[in-house]
Amino acid sequence: MVFGIMTSGTALSQKFHQILEQHKGILFKVARTYCQNEADRQDLLQEMMIQIWKSLHRYNDNFAITTWMYRIALNVAISFYRKNTHQQNARLPLTDEMMHIQEEASSEKQDQLNLLEQFISEFNDLDKALVLLYLEDKSHAEIAEIMGLSVTNIGTKLGRIKEKLKKRFLLINS
Amino acid sequence: MNENELKLLWQSAHTKLEDSLQVNRKNTEDITKLKVQNFLSSMKPIKIFTLIVGILWVAILGSTVVHLFIHAYDQVSLYFLCAAAIQVVLTAIAVVVYIYQLNLIYNVDFSKPVLNIQENLSKLKVSTLNITRILFLQLPVWTIFYWNDSMFENGNLFLWIIQVSITLTMSYWAIWLFFNIKFENRDQKWFKLIFSGKEWQPMLQSMELLSQIEGYQGAENENTRH
Repeated sequence: MVFGIMTSGTALSQKFHQILEQHKGILFKVARTYCQNEADRQDLLQEMMIQIWKSLHRYNDNFAITTWMYRIALNVAISFYRKNTHQQNARLPLTDEMMHIQEEASSEKQDQLNLLEQFISEFNDLDKALVLLYLEDKSHAEIAEIMGLSVTNIGTKLGRIKEKLKKRFLLINS
Repeated sequence: MNENELKLLWQSAHTKLEDSLQVNRKNTEDITKLKVQNFLSSMKPIKIFTLIVGILWVAILGSTVVHLFIHAYDQVSLYFLCAAAIQVVLTAIAVVVYIYQLNLIYNVDFSKPVLNIQENLSKLKVSTLNITRILFLQLPVWTIFYWNDSMFENGNLFLWIIQVSITLTMSYWAIWLFFNIKFENRDQKWFKLIFSGKEWQPMLQSMELLSQIEGYQGAENENTRH
């Protein structure tokens, strides 16, 4: 059943906050994958949240909320990524960052993560989405539903992407 | 690094980040107070400016042409009237198509599957080419609006050869561009020359994305056949 039919404005607003709180990681990871620049990333996060708010009344709870959020976040990121972010308008004035990290933990794995993020940034927009969902351990069926492709095609594409990643790491290590 | 190590690296690093992430409540509350943005307020100033100029041009020139047709038909050059009328009609068509496309782009439902939405959005942006094709059709019109009866009565052969050559050349290019400005010719030198400005970047990037989507769909069709 469509969520909007049964929800008043306040309930919708509460649902919005609840969804963001529970699934903030999805937005953050997608934004981080598509935007290297911190200021642009904050704009992208804001745009994602606006689109989630605008689409919330259409949310059909027969579908997994994570699938719905990944679709919005990736669609906004791919569209946003191709815009000149400095020409954006109609933005809300940001009182502070949309989302921030309290304390960024530093670890020895950080370098490897940076390396992985660098390799991901070399992929094209659609492959980036695939690799992100793959690293998030989504099943091929879930990825297919988010992307709008067949499970077989996802398998083929992921195979090639994994091979590329493997080669890049091998090259660095050697 | 093997598959599992990669996933573990990604997930462990991001789980830590996720735990320490804080959503700015004040900003999200501001979003919930947003009325659904109307079409105009979501547009870039340059697009609004272009639209206003286009609409004003059509309104002013259009009303002038109509006025002249009705009240001063026999005092004004017929070539000027026809050229202006064609120009107004073509600009009006371009403005309407532009508004229609922008409206579709700004009302996209982002919660649909990624490939479908990106394909629709890219196709819409690439269809901006249609507006350019329509506007190029105006080329020959700009070479006849100043014609008048005295040019026929007093003009010499040399001037007419130049004049007709210019008009025919412009007509040829207008028709050629009308039929050849299309996605399939995106790699041609002349195409890149016409669309080399910064303002065409979003459209060119949409073309690039469409090529990626075609690659995905090609693989999809292959898999279906096997």
